[in-house]
Amino acid sequence: MTTSIGVGDAVGSVVLQTDPVRVLRFGAATHNAHRIHYDTAYANTEGLTDRVVMAQLHGALFFRAAARFAGSADGVLGVGWRNRAPAYVGCVLTVTGSVRAMHSDRIELELVEHSDDGTVCAVGEAVVARKCAFGLPSEPNPLESSG
Amino acid sequence: MRTELRTAQERAGRLIGAVDRRRLGRVRADESIAFARACAEGDPRFLDAAHPAFAVHPMYLPSLLRGPFGARDTEYRDDGMFADEVPGTSGLDVRLMAGGQHIVFRNPPPLGEEIEVSRVIAEVERKGRPESPFLLITVVKSYRAAVAGELATVTERFIVR
Repeated sequence: MTTSIGVGDAVGSVVLQTDPVRVLRFGAATHNAHRIHYDTAYANTEGLTDRVVMAQLHGALFFRAAARFAGSADGVLGVGWRNRAPAYVGCVLTVTGSVRAMHSDRIELELVEHSDDGTVCAVGEAVVARKCAFGLPSEPNPLESSG
Repeated sequence: MRTELRTAQERAGRLIGAVDRRRLGRVRADESIAFARACAEGDPRFLDAAHPAFAVHPMYLPSLLRGPFGARDTEYRDDGMFADEVPGTSGLDVRLMAGGQHIVFRNPPPLGEEIEVSRVIAEVERKGRPESPFLLITVVKSYRAAVAGELATVTERFIVR
């Protein structure tokens, strides 16, 4: 358990292998039928190379990075992200980050998401409660690379 | 600026400040678990309804576009988006992209309570170069449950090209 936290400390990475099944399942769970997520020919008409991962799925990864840092999802007070480039279905997404600021009651995290070709897909931030028991920064998630 | 984009800007601009309310139905454990599984969540509290500390995934409601009742055919655009998801764009030949979100969590989403989301357009901005303009529409959404009260506030940005 990490108990001493300072500005610049790393936030453990969160990794997700995306694939068409994952994206379709996510779209079904959220009632998202936007064709850019599952229809390659349509995505091409919008100037996209392929189908793209939903913005909310990026958000779920940012949230997870913050929750692991906080040691519990309950410790996440807020999370935000801004899409910077399309994340094409099939890429590996990795969220990393660092501690941006420390306050008496909360900690601000700076987060960034890359795809495996190095593209910055989204940048963001999170605020976690300082009272939390901070978790191991690289806690593995056995489900992350499963379909 | 293309006529359709200008029309979207005018329509959305007229809606600034107007509140739109939408029912999302009651959150069921099964649906939140399906969401958690779909985003490869590893926290067992979000994956097992029998877990003593089971909770609805905090990202579920902010990610949900409609309740379990879905929508009628006429409520979709040709691109598969809900016609009212990005205000001012219904029926227009414009491209829609999510720009990002900022979420403040206020209370855990409760099971079994009716959820309502109220949406208000905060800002409509014209961006980009003259030859490739786009709109940035900022919508603020508030999620509430009758007993649990305010659940989350989401500031969401949409890109319209």
